[in-house]
Amino acid sequence: MSAKHAVLGLVIERPGYGYDLARRLRERFGSSGFAPTGVYSALDQLSAEGLVRSAGSLAADSAERAAPRTVYEATGEGREQFDRWMLSTSSLAHVRDELNMKLALSRPRDLPALIELVRCQEEQCLARLEALKRVDAPAESPRPRSDGLAWPQVARLLVRDAEVRQLQARIEWLQRVGAIMVKLAGSQRSRVLPGESAGAVVGRGGPVEQRVRSEAEAAAVGARVA
Amino acid sequence: MSFRECLSLDRVSKSYWRGPHETTVLKYISLSVFAGECVAVWGQRGSGKTTLLKVAAGLEPPDDGIVSFKDRDLRAMSKAEMVRLLREEIGWARRSGPESDELEMLDYVALPLLKGHTLRRARRRSAQALAQVGVADCCKGRWEDLTDSERTLVSIAHAMVRKPSLLVVDDPTANLDLLQREEVMGLLRSTAEQEWIAVLITVPDMPSMVHAHRIGSLSDGRLLVPSGVSPERDNVVDFPIRGKAVLG
Repeated sequence: MSAKHAVLGLVIERPGYGYDLARRLRERFGSSGFAPTGVYSALDQLSAEGLVRSAGSLAADSAERAAPRTVYEATGEGREQFDRWMLSTSSLAHVRDELNMKLALSRPRDLPALIELVRCQEEQCLARLEALKRVDAPAESPRPRSDGLAWPQVARLLVRDAEVRQLQARIEWLQRVGAIMVKLAGSQRSRVLPGESAGAVVGRGGPVEQRVRSEAEAAAVGARVA
Repeated sequence: MSFRECLSLDRVSKSYWRGPHETTVLKYISLSVFAGECVAVWGQRGSGKTTLLKVAAGLEPPDDGIVSFKDRDLRAMSKAEMVRLLREEIGWARRSGPESDELEMLDYVALPLLKGHTLRRARRRSAQALAQVGVADCCKGRWEDLTDSERTLVSIAHAMVRKPSLLVVDDPTANLDLLQREEVMGLLRSTAEQEWIAVLITVPDMPSMVHAHRIGSLSDGRLLVPSGVSPERDNVVDFPIRGKAVLG
């Protein structure tokens, strides 16, 4: 999905200039990975198709910026196009994940690196959740009841809920995958012949190798206890 | 250790024995919870969330490591001091409700106060606590008449009525829909900020963590946090405090 319909929807909500729209796009769809510069190419495309037009200019508000800002608004055709898009079926995104590809193409000796990758990605998921966290001021007491929320607020909650649940599903999968890989790394290590370096199986003494080795040892101990 | 730090877990470990098998539930967990903040810990089922809360709330001793409450090591406390701590300083929101089905919620929430207050005064404080969490209209209701959302809120009022320094809630959003969850989690966050208490919760659903000031993930007995941590402070959840200015 391109940023085109997202930008058109934002302009319909409220006219704005490029930087303002890029900021709003980041706020609303931050985890979707739209590049800020995508707003400008989307505006060019929407203008060329007659879906948005200039609604005037904002004067420069500081000495740092000499040029006025062009404010965009939706045309009638733009609103109609947006309505048609809203009613059309939504495609299910293809799962094209780099880690999945690496897993599919990995060799046994890649296990330590994969364990580290899985750990890193779990941390990245948590960091993304941190970024999604609510940062606005707490509601005043007595708090407004949830059943008093307007639809735009509810819609935002639903989108954020979907994003967070995707992260949760990813983290749960990463934890399962990580546990299995650590267990396998442990069994690989235990198969090392006497006199053979453990590094031959799980790496060559770097921090990753040390971490895998300690986890493998922990897994081996756990397996013995169980 | 600063004055603001209400609860501190320092390299805490905890294991259970099931027959001859030892299961380590918590491995060197370090966690600080400060006054004015809500900390949420997520984990899958069986990840040790409830054990973490029990150890943090002083209900179970750790096998290893130190649990401190307002700079005091719980191991150094006498039995009487522990009883006072659990009665006055730590509020555990239980969603099991009152023993008696006949008890009205006004009296249920007033129960923890009856030892030190008259019934009239306890009821007045109870009504205030119920109003504060937005369920004043449940005063005359009975537990079985309440919705899941109302039960959660009444439980929080029950735990908060003694004005504890630490509020502990295990899975506060169980059985709630998205909007009810937002309401309860918003309440816990604002309670921490406005009452200037520490709030520690565990959740099985990540969307519930969105309102928390700080978050962590419990897996394989270890606590993972969103930002990088130094080796010396492995597993420490230590973020800047938001909401109120730093005291003293």
